[in-house]
Amino acid sequence: MSQEILPPARVLVTGASGLLGRSVAARLADLGYTVTTFQRSSSGLDTVHEVRGSLTDPQAVERAVAGQDAILHMAAKVSVSGRREDFERINIVGTEQLFDAAWGAGVENVLYVSSPSVAHAGSSLVGASAGPADPQRAEGHYARTKAEAELIAQTRGSAGTNVLIMRPHLVWGPGDGQLTKRIIDRARSGRLPILGTGAPLVDTLFIDNAVDAFVAGLRQLPIIAAEQPLSGRRLMVTNGEPRPIGELIAGIAAAGGARQPTLRVPAAVAKTAGLAIEKLWAATGPHADEPPMTKFLAEQLSTAHWFDQRHTREVLDWSPRTSIEQGLQKLGRHVRRTGGVL
Amino acid sequence: MVSWPSPLTLWKPIPAAAARSPFAALRHTPLPGLDPEWSQLVSARTDDGDRGFHVLDTGPALQARGITPTGTILALHGNPTWSYMWRHVLRSSVEQARPGQAWRVIAPDQLDMGFSERLAHPDPPGPHATSYRGMEQRLNDLDGLMDALDVEIDKPLVTLGHDWGGVISLAWAVRHRNLVQAAMSLNTAVDHPHAEPVPTALRAAMTPGVLAGSTVLTDAFLRVTLSLAEGGLEPEVAAAYRAPYVSRLGRGGIGGFVADIPAAAEHPSREALERASSGLQQWEKPTLLVWGPKDPVFRDRYLNDLLERVPHADLHRFEGAGHLVSEDRDIAEVLFTWLQDQFGMTGPPDGTSPPPAEPPTRLHEQLEAMSLSWRRDSPAVVDMTAGPEGATLSWQQLNTQVDTLAAGLHRLGVRRGHRVSLLVQPGNSLTVVLYACLRLGAVAVVADAGLGIRGMTRAVRSARPNWVIGQRPGLVLARAMGWPGTRISMDPLSPRAARALGTVASVQRLLRGDETPALKELAHPEADDPAAILFTSGSTGPAKGVIYTHQRLGALVALLRHHLQVKPGSSLIAGFAPFALLGPAIGATSVTADMSVTKPATLTARAVAEAALTGEATMFFGSPAALRNVVATSAELTEQQRTALGRIRLVLSAGAPVHPDLLDQVAQLFPQAEIHTPYGMTEGLLQADIERKEVHRAMATGQPGVCVGRAVAGVRFALAPLDGLGRPAQQLLDPERAQGTLSELVVSAAHLKAGYDRLWLTDRQSRRDEKDDLLWHRTGDVGHIDEAGRVWIQGRLQHVITTAEGPVGPGVVETPVDALDAVARSAAVGVGPAGTQAIVVVVEPAPGQRLSLGSSPLAQPEVSRAVRAASRQAAVSAVLVVERLPTDIRHNSKIERTALAAWAEQVLAGQKVSAP
Repeated sequence: MSQEILPPARVLVTGASGLLGRSVAARLADLGYTVTTFQRSSSGLDTVHEVRGSLTDPQAVERAVAGQDAILHMAAKVSVSGRREDFERINIVGTEQLFDAAWGAGVENVLYVSSPSVAHAGSSLVGASAGPADPQRAEGHYARTKAEAELIAQTRGSAGTNVLIMRPHLVWGPGDGQLTKRIIDRARSGRLPILGTGAPLVDTLFIDNAVDAFVAGLRQLPIIAAEQPLSGRRLMVTNGEPRPIGELIAGIAAAGGARQPTLRVPAAVAKTAGLAIEKLWAATGPHADEPPMTKFLAEQLSTAHWFDQRHTREVLDWSPRTSIEQGLQKLGRHVRRTGGVL
Repeated sequence: MVSWPSPLTLWKPIPAAAARSPFAALRHTPLPGLDPEWSQLVSARTDDGDRGFHVLDTGPALQARGITPTGTILALHGNPTWSYMWRHVLRSSVEQARPGQAWRVIAPDQLDMGFSERLAHPDPPGPHATSYRGMEQRLNDLDGLMDALDVEIDKPLVTLGHDWGGVISLAWAVRHRNLVQAAMSLNTAVDHPHAEPVPTALRAAMTPGVLAGSTVLTDAFLRVTLSLAEGGLEPEVAAAYRAPYVSRLGRGGIGGFVADIPAAAEHPSREALERASSGLQQWEKPTLLVWGPKDPVFRDRYLNDLLERVPHADLHRFEGAGHLVSEDRDIAEVLFTWLQDQFGMTGPPDGTSPPPAEPPTRLHEQLEAMSLSWRRDSPAVVDMTAGPEGATLSWQQLNTQVDTLAAGLHRLGVRRGHRVSLLVQPGNSLTVVLYACLRLGAVAVVADAGLGIRGMTRAVRSARPNWVIGQRPGLVLARAMGWPGTRISMDPLSPRAARALGTVASVQRLLRGDETPALKELAHPEADDPAAILFTSGSTGPAKGVIYTHQRLGALVALLRHHLQVKPGSSLIAGFAPFALLGPAIGATSVTADMSVTKPATLTARAVAEAALTGEATMFFGSPAALRNVVATSAELTEQQRTALGRIRLVLSAGAPVHPDLLDQVAQLFPQAEIHTPYGMTEGLLQADIERKEVHRAMATGQPGVCVGRAVAGVRFALAPLDGLGRPAQQLLDPERAQGTLSELVVSAAHLKAGYDRLWLTDRQSRRDEKDDLLWHRTGDVGHIDEAGRVWIQGRLQHVITTAEGPVGPGVVETPVDALDAVARSAAVGVGPAGTQAIVVVVEPAPGQRLSLGSSPLAQPEVSRAVRAASRQAAVSAVLVVERLPTDIRHNSKIERTALAAWAEQVLAGQKVSAP
C-alpha cells in the first residue's frame, strides 16, 4: 500500500541555494522532516543537514542520497544564456546520475522540479494542461536540457522509482532575485518596457504557494505515482489566477515602490531585437549578467501562458493560500521593510 | 454565357462497366467517414436482366456486434451524388444500435451512378435516347435490389431520400404502402407546380444541346452541386463525392437523370411521377421532411407542395442549410430521434400543462361582452399617435369593424388555418386586423421589424404565410424580397400602385363591406387551432417561430386579467405600442401614448400623462427604455398632468430587468402605483413577477444575479442544475431540492407556447422533460431559486462561464460592475477551455469616462481593481475596455457575448485585433 510521506521522513533537497530550494528545505524542516540539502555553496539554513558538492560529482551525489526516503530535485543550471555544455552537464547528466544514485541507494521517491518551458513552443497557451516534454521544440539550452532531463525522470518513473514531475510557472515574491528583483530594478531605473498591449494572460506562482505545493507534492508522491498514469504525474503549478502580463508587471513594480512602466515596445520589435541581442551576447560572451532581452523572453511576455489547474489541485490536495492581490501586498511590505526584494 | 461543346460532334459511346467496390477501385482517394465493413456488391434482377449494385449496408456490421435490427431504412441518394452522402446516417445507425432498438441502413448506389454498374450509352442523353434509366425502371430496380438483399419485411421498413432519390424513395413508399411504415426525405420535389418555370439553376442543365455537355462531357453539373454545401466541403470529402464521376465514362447516369426530369407533359416518366405525387395525397404513414431552405433548386415552394400533399408530415427546416443539408447539418440526430418516437418502446413524451390559474377566456369574449354591455359606447382603443384628440373606437365600433373585416377577408378567400403575415404598425388598424384574423381562425404571423430585413425575410419565408396584410413600406419590402403570400394593403391603392405592389384588396375597402350573414354561420375557431406565430429574438441563431393556440393565448389572457386585476372600466396606457393589442382581449381600454411606435425610448412623461387624461387610465405598460425617458422628461409635467399620473395604480415594465434606482424614480412619478417588472419570454410571456419594494428586499439578501420575483399563479418552476462544464442536468428538480444551485430555469404553464413552427427537432428537444407528467419549457436562462421561492437570473445558458471553481452566470459579475459610476455597461465572458475558463469583464465607459490604458484595450489599474472588488462572488482575470459593447439589432440591450468572447480571447492571447 502506498502512503503519504510524513515527518520525520528523511528528505534530500538539491539546489537549496536558490530561493525556492532554500524555502522548501526550511519549511520541510519546520514541519519535522529530516532534511538534507545538497548544493555547492551553503544554504545558510541551520535546521538542515548539509552536504556540499556538485551534481556532476558522482561520489558527492552518492553521499547525499544515501539513507534518504525521498529526493526533491531542484538543482539545475537556470539561465537564458550560457554555454551549451554547461547546461547539458548539469541538467541532463546531473539528473541521470542522481537517479542512478537513488536507485543504487534504494531511494524510492523522487520529486523532479521541471519547467513549463520544456513543453512550450512559442505559441499561446490558453488554459493549457501539462503536455509532454519535447526537447525538439524547446527553445534555448535551458529549456532543451530541462526537457531531456524531464524525459529521463519520466522514464525512471516507469521503471521502479516513484516519480512526480512539477513545473512551477513564473515564481515571484519576496526574496526572488530572478523575476521580481529584475522587474523592480528596471522599473526603478525607467527601463522596464511593456511589450505590445500588455494584455496577454499569464499565470504566475507566488513563492509561498510554490513552497506549499512542493510540500504537498512530496507528501502525496507515492500515492500519485501509484494512482496516476504517466501524463497525470506531470503537474503545472500556478496560482490559477491568470492576469494580463502588463498588469502583473505594473503590480510588482508598484509593490517595489517604482513608477508605472510607460515604455511600450511592439511585440514584434522586441522579438527581433531579442534574437539579435541573444546572438550578440553569444558572440561577445562570456558575460556575468543575462542579456537584457531574448527572443524567448519576448515571446514569453507577448503571448498568453495560463494553465488548467484542476488536475494539479486535485491530486496534490492543495490550493493556493495567497492570492495575487495578497502576494503583492506581502511583497510591498517586504520591500518597504527591507528596502529591497532580497 | 458558357458555350458547351456540341454533343453531336463530340459524343463518343459510353461502354458498359461492372459494379466496383470503391475501396478496391480507388487507390489514392480516401473516403473519409466511410467504413469498408458497410460496402458490398449485390447482383439484383431488374427489368433488363441481372445488374450489379454497390450498396452500403450496416446489416453485417450490426450482426457482427450481435445486434438484430429492429427495422430497416432504405436510403436513396440523388443526382449527382452517391451513397457516400448517407455516411453519417450509416455511422449513427451502428453507434446508436442497442438490442431492441437498432436500424439497419441500406444505401444503394443507383444504377449508372456511384459505384454501381454502368450501362452502355451509344447516344447522348435526351428525350429520344433509350439506354438511360427512367423513373419506372428505377423503381423496379429497387424492387429487385430489396429482394436480393434479404430484408426482413416483418419489421418496420422506412424510406429516406434526397433530391431525385427523394422522389423515387417516396414513389417507392407509395407503391409499397402496405410494406413501408414511414417515409423520410430531405430536399426534393414530387411535382412541379403548374405554370411555374423549372428552377433556373436546373433549366440551364436541361436545355437540349447543353444537357450532355454540362452533365456528361464535362463535370460542370457535378461541381455546381458540390459547391452548394454551405461553407464548402472539406477537400477530401469533395474528392470522395467526385470519385465515381471523375471520367466521362462514369457520368452517363448524371446526364440520364437530368434528362429524366419530366418537365413536359409528354415525358415518358411523367406518368410514374404523377402516380407518385397523387399517391402521396393518400399517404397516411408517418412522414418526416428535413429541409435546407437555401437550396437554389428545391426552393420552399416545393416544400409547400409536399406539405399540401402530406399535411401530417413533420418538418424540420434547418435555417441556413442548403441543398446538401446532410453535409450542412447533423441530420442523423433528427432522423433517429424521430424514428425513436415513431417506433421506439416509449414514444415521445406527452406531458400536459398544469391547470391554468383561471379558466381560459376566448379571445373575443371580452370584446363581445363589452360591445353588448352598457359600456358599449365608451372607448375601447384610443390611438394618441393619430393626433392630439387621438383616434378612438368604442367597444361597439371595434367589434363591428372586426366582424366586418373578418367577413370581408373570408369573402376574399382567407380561411381558418391560413397564415396571415401582419406588416402593420401598431395602432387601431392593427388591432382590428389582428382580431379579425383571430375571429376567422386565421393564424397571425407577427415578425417585427426589429429582426432586420434579413431576419424578417427568413422568418416570413419559414412561416410561409398565405396572405400578407401590410402598409405600404411592408408591402414594398414583401414585394422586393419576394416574400410569399397574397398581398392585401391597409389603405386603398390606385390601380397602378396595386399592380406594382401586387395587392388584391385593401382593408379599408373590406371594412366598407357588409357584415354578411356568412360570418354568423362561420364557426369560431377551436381551442387547439393555432392563433398566432411570434418570433424569438434570434439573438442566439436564427429567429424561431413560436406557435400559440387559441387555448394557450386564452390562458394568457385569463392570467393577465387575474394578475392585473382587470375590472370593468380598467384602462391601460401602452407605452410600448404592441401592448395596445392586449386591451380588447382582457377587456380594458387601451390608449396608445403619442410616441414613435418603433422607438419606445422616445416616450415622454407628458405623452403618458396626456394618454392618462384622455383614457382615464389606471395602468401603464412600458419598457425599460421608455421608463428611463419618462423619468428624464418628468420636469415638463404640468400640475394637472402630475395629478393624472397620480391616479395610475399599476406600472408594468416588460423586457429587461430594471435597475432599482430607476424603479424608485418611477415610483415618485406614480405615487399610487405598484411597479412591477414581470419575467417571461416569447415562449411564455409571463412567468414570474416582482414589485419594486420586493426588489429592494431581495437585493438586500446579497444573492448573485437579478431577482425577478416569484412564479405567478398557474406557473411551475423546475431546475436543471449545471455541471462543471455548464451543461444543464437531464433530470429536473423541484426548486426546494436545488435551492441556490446555479441551474437552467424550466417552466410549465397553461399559457406556454404550443410548439415551434416547422422545427420538429427543436420542438421535440424543448419538450423532452417529463417530470410530474407535465409539459416543460427549458428557458435557456440560468439562475437560482432561493429559499423564499424567489427566482434569480444570472444570464443565458450559452453565456455561462465555466471556471475551474464551477459555472458562473455572467450576471453575477455584471450586476455589481454595472453599478460602478465609471461604467455604462459591462459584459462578463469566459476565455479558455471549457471547465477552466478565465473570467474577463469588458466594460463600456460611462459618458465622459476614459478607462483604458493608452491605446491598449486593458483597463487602467484602478479600474481593474474596482471591477475586481465589485465582483466579489467570482474572480476576474482581466478587465478590458471598449468604446461600445456590440449589441444585437433587435434588443439594443442584449450584448453579443459570443462575438465579444472571441475578441477577448484573441486580445488576451496577445494577438493584434481591432475593436469588436
